[in-house]
Amino acid sequence: MSNNNVDYARMKFYCDEQRCIHCDGCSVACAEAHELPVEISRRKVVTVNEGKQGMEFSLSVACMHCTDAPCEEVCPVDCFYIRDDGIVLHDKDKCIGCSYCLYACPFGAPQFPSDGAFGTKGVMDKCTMCAGGPEETNSHKERELYGQNRIAEGKVPVCAAMCSTKALLVGDAESVSNVYRERVLSSGHGVQSAPYGWDKAYGK
Amino acid sequence: MANTWGYGAMTNSLGDIQNSKAIIIFGANPAVNHPVGFQHFLKAKERNNAKIIVVDPRFTKTAAKADYYAQIRPGTDIPFMYGMLNIIFENGWHDKGFINDRVYGMEDVMKEAKNWPIERVADVTGVDADLIVQITKHYAQHTPGTLIWAMGLTQHSNGSSNTRMAPILQLALGNMGVEGGGCNILRGHDNVQGATDMCCLSHTLPGYYGLSDGSWKYFAKSWGVDYEWLKGRFKTPEWMNKKGFTLSRWWSGVLAGNPGEDAIHNNGTNLKALFVMGNGITSTAQTKKVKEALDNLDIAVFCDPFVNEGAIITDKQDDVYILPAGTQFETSGSVTATNRSAQWRTEVVKPMYESKADQDIMFELAKRLGFYDELTAGMKIREDKKEYKWPEDATDEIARIIKTIGLTGWTAKRLKEHQENWHMFDEVSGRGYGKMTGEYYGLPWPCWTESHSGSPVLYNINRSVKDGGMGFRNRFGLEHDGQDLLAGAGSAPIDSNNKDGYPEINRDNIEEVLKIKLTDDEKSRIGKNWKVDTSNIIAEKCMEAGMAPYGNAKARAKVWTFADQIPLHREPLHSPRTDLVKEHPSFADKKNHYRVDTRYISEQTKQDWAKDFPINLVTGRLVNMNGAGMENRASKYLAKLTPEMFCDIHPDLAGRYGIRDGEMMWIHSPQGTKIKVKSHYSYSVSPDRVFIPIHFAGVLEGESLLHKYPDGTAPYAIGESANTVTNYGYDIVTQIPETKGGLCQIARV
Repeated sequence: MSNNNVDYARMKFYCDEQRCIHCDGCSVACAEAHELPVEISRRKVVTVNEGKQGMEFSLSVACMHCTDAPCEEVCPVDCFYIRDDGIVLHDKDKCIGCSYCLYACPFGAPQFPSDGAFGTKGVMDKCTMCAGGPEETNSHKERELYGQNRIAEGKVPVCAAMCSTKALLVGDAESVSNVYRERVLSSGHGVQSAPYGWDKAYGK
Repeated sequence: MANTWGYGAMTNSLGDIQNSKAIIIFGANPAVNHPVGFQHFLKAKERNNAKIIVVDPRFTKTAAKADYYAQIRPGTDIPFMYGMLNIIFENGWHDKGFINDRVYGMEDVMKEAKNWPIERVADVTGVDADLIVQITKHYAQHTPGTLIWAMGLTQHSNGSSNTRMAPILQLALGNMGVEGGGCNILRGHDNVQGATDMCCLSHTLPGYYGLSDGSWKYFAKSWGVDYEWLKGRFKTPEWMNKKGFTLSRWWSGVLAGNPGEDAIHNNGTNLKALFVMGNGITSTAQTKKVKEALDNLDIAVFCDPFVNEGAIITDKQDDVYILPAGTQFETSGSVTATNRSAQWRTEVVKPMYESKADQDIMFELAKRLGFYDELTAGMKIREDKKEYKWPEDATDEIARIIKTIGLTGWTAKRLKEHQENWHMFDEVSGRGYGKMTGEYYGLPWPCWTESHSGSPVLYNINRSVKDGGMGFRNRFGLEHDGQDLLAGAGSAPIDSNNKDGYPEINRDNIEEVLKIKLTDDEKSRIGKNWKVDTSNIIAEKCMEAGMAPYGNAKARAKVWTFADQIPLHREPLHSPRTDLVKEHPSFADKKNHYRVDTRYISEQTKQDWAKDFPINLVTGRLVNMNGAGMENRASKYLAKLTPEMFCDIHPDLAGRYGIRDGEMMWIHSPQGTKIKVKSHYSYSVSPDRVFIPIHFAGVLEGESLLHKYPDGTAPYAIGESANTVTNYGYDIVTQIPETKGGLCQIARV
């Protein structure tokens, strides 16, 4: 993001801690949609200070698709690539399962199947923001390796679509910040009795 | 609820909670059990600055979002609410006008409230006195406030008093019949409200019509069957008018006669057969009794999409049948949501493999039992058809017959239209836009006529009856102890011909009360009263007059037909406070309570329970599961979240018993049963109680039953059933089990 003249949106996740209730709708939807092996958790919900009054909060975490992603920096085989819209993806055909990225990642996003002989790890798997991988878009191989490519179909990533309280927001940075800004600004202002602009368009 | 103001149902809606200025939650955990509905609570907090108050024995996920949290001792909700009322009355924060016009018997409540000074409430409930004052002050001064509850309030031996106490608190503050107020009971499962409305109950006919001969005759006529034939189905005619067994005590019907079992009154015979449709009976209290009863049946049938674990826990070898039922996606028809609104469902796929939809299983059964024609006759009446069409004709049959809760407007055509246009309704008010103008989403009942809007907020006199307004129902007579039970002057819904209280409408009083004249033709067609008026003339005339067919009366704080006329505190049957049991003993034992003699005081005083079982046992749900958990544990991703049965235990308590985090532990019940579960250190419970989730089965008292599942049907997760150790104890009115206020002892394995 070196200048303001980018053609692409910058995609980001945002989890509103005031709203997240640890229902795990996001993580289960993710696992179902991408038909993940049970030991892979692309998305996790964590509760901090569980049971401690006044201190407990929950939030949903997955790959945050960082700017200057540390995983990409440390990968010895350069399997990561960052799309113009900021989504961080990787090439499973290149990945050697060394798990350097896991050590570099501040969010514990990279996942490794652990069923190889002598505990060897398979290739890494992580949240793709429902954007697939380097294979041909919506091809069988992309689906097998990376799961659904909902972004290519113009759909919201399944985790946020399923979020029961709309705590988990995803989209281009500006839209996410607009949604959150509206929540902050409308704080204490009562409920809307009709969708904005309805009466202008259709009468009361 | 029904005994307070006429209907036992959520008075407002989930969306309406966004209008609240304060939210108080007793014994409910919507963040876990209603995660999607909980967004409305969070929005009220965001947009309205509404404070969330949670009163619960356990620091739940809901409590984590609360502004005030009171960790109450199980079974002491009544003292807590009397404590609140005492502060409210002393400070004059109650709504005097509302009480005067619309409530009967509040004086008795005021008297009893005086017995609950704050120090005493703090001692009994275990909640800090200052916190109770803070909560009360905030809740009383921020109206409208909504009061939420669920099983945490109802599942007690005095649960029916609890559910009267909460309405009394709301009535005292004038929080009833307003947007953002109300008593909002959260139904725990899909279509619970519909199942109750349609009478999955043993003490009424559908629509809460009683069991009197008159009701039976009305139904015989409406169903198109001969009354004498119906009567002939019973062993002797008087059994038509008697309540049946309840889900919580059916096992007594099998086991009665064995040593130590309660006696039954079932015409000299025990129950021999059990037919279960979609009910996880391993999630009902006293699992060992359920097992023993299943073992002793002649025949047991389970219809479920997944293997019902009732079939797993029993040792019965023959005559246990598992019928594959379709899921909700494999059938269509209407269901009723927690806020009394209907929603039409469309079939997504045909029933897969050899499974059948529930109704087809019932039809086939009726054919073989020889009453298929009678069972389906009612569906053909409306249009005098040769063949019925499922489910439309069934829906229309319901609309034709059920007047009590106002289902007249729920025709299949209208309900489908709502489903097809659900984007045309506002999420908060439910109000329709565009072509749905003038209707509320799902036509929340009462929906008096085929053009009525539905009633989103019960007992709201600030709307006209045509737009869902109404007073309280005139259900308990016209006067009691010389006091008028009709609503006070000027407290009728707006645009009413009659501005004051008025009685329920019948053939004889309609002209006088509505101030109208009927034509001779109308006089010849009108039914005896509004509940049986299939001509619907009464409802139509009432709409024109702006009046509710069921009258406009006072709510009652005092129920003179109950053991306790006003709610009184009674300690749970198994209480950790032996000293308080003497002051607040339970009820006298009750004979023939839904056919079963039920123990109260004799169980409570049988021994000093607290001495041997000093720890409170709290049960509840997990967000990834529901009910007995059969379908959820069969999903690998859901099972992964909680792969094992566990017990939340405070580290201090665990330390006293030498139980380490993650170690197996025993939980023993006063009934002599036990379960072996994994300990999970948690600060969400205080050191005097433990919490266990209700969704597991497949392990019984330490023994795995995995080998008993038919090949390929074992779920990914099995575990001890919490109900193996929930205590004996049943509500004095409804027989709901006391699973939220029991005792236990724990031990290292």
